Amino acid sequence: MTDCSDGAVRDLLPDLVHDRLEPDVRRRVDAHVLGCSDCQQEVELLVALRKSLRRGPVMDVGAIASAIPAYRASRRSWGGWRAAAAVVLLAVGGTSVAVLQRERDTGRDSAISTVVPVVRGAAPMAQATPAPLPLAIDEPSRELVIGNPAIDELDDRELSTLLAGLETIEALPSPDEDRPADLQVRAPAGTD
Amino acid sequence: MSDDAQSADSLAEQGTDDELIRRWKSGEQRAATLLVERHAGSVARFVTSLGVQHDVEDVVQDTFVRAFGSIDGFRGESQLRTWLFTIARRLVLDARRSERRRGEQVEVQDSDARTDFDPLDVMVADESERRMHGAVARLTPTQRQVFSLRVGEGMSYKEIADAVGTTEGAARVHYHNAMRAIKELLDD
Repeated sequence: MTDCSDGAVRDLLPDLVHDRLEPDVRRRVDAHVLGCSDCQQEVELLVALRKSLRRGPVMDVGAIASAIPAYRASRRSWGGWRAAAAVVLLAVGGTSVAVLQRERDTGRDSAISTVVPVVRGAAPMAQATPAPLPLAIDEPSRELVIGNPAIDELDDRELSTLLAGLETIEALPSPDEDRPADLQVRAPAGTD
Repeated sequence: MSDDAQSADSLAEQGTDDELIRRWKSGEQRAATLLVERHAGSVARFVTSLGVQHDVEDVVQDTFVRAFGSIDGFRGESQLRTWLFTIARRLVLDARRSERRRGEQVEVQDSDARTDFDPLDVMVADESERRMHGAVARLTPTQRQVFSLRVGEGMSYKEIADAVGTTEGAARVHYHNAMRAIKELLDD
């Protein structure tokens, strides 16, 4: 038995056998099959296979149906949503009460204490005692600061030129204002 | 009048699947019986095509009990029959996993294909039909499932993909490979 070369029609032959084609498609497929002996043979085979495949074990419909309980509306999902909503409301409400209570107890200080961590890294407040800073950047830190391979390839003279150029950029914070004079990027030895 | 025409008339008298589900939900237990009557045979054939040899009716019954127990989860995006097939397939796979854990040898993958399986042998008297059954039984499990749904049930590739857990394209390829294999087996 050979296959018809029209794969699109062959694909529809089971639907033709089951009468599942739209009328216009059905007319097109019928017209093709009428003139195609390969498709006629395949349709005959499909009809026989369909009959054969539709044999099967006989089911006791009554026994199966009797095992089906009466309908009971599912409440689980609605109950689940209600439980979830209740948990969220309790959590939000409890947190709000706790925050309000804490603000009432601590007054304005609480507002300051919540702001300070956010502005960490800004200039220290005037009355605060600044923590001691390292006097010079150690070797590993220096590697982090100038670890760019492109910079590593520069020779000493180029590096000095680059550093001098950086000094002239106004956007950089002045080392004299915010940090001790010792906190400078140490130039490689031998450049002085 | 053909069988198909008769069954179409009968379906029209009984109502669509959706109508029967609505009637069952409103308390008419007979609507469930009509749905079982309509689909039990298809589910049984599908379960058989999955390689189940024993307890087919138990699997079918479990399928309907599960389906009706979670009918609110059926959105009607697919046909009821396709949804039943999906549940049946899941039940069979779950049972096989349990059997595997107990160390029993079962058919799960294509590589485990049992080529000698044919539970309908005893029911087939006609020689040519016996040969057709033999040819179908020699397909790989996935080919057999897809081919049975396409040819036996007349399902579209989309419905088959949903029921078997594959893609439309893969279902189409499995069908054509199965058809070619059957022709070759019957030509021998």
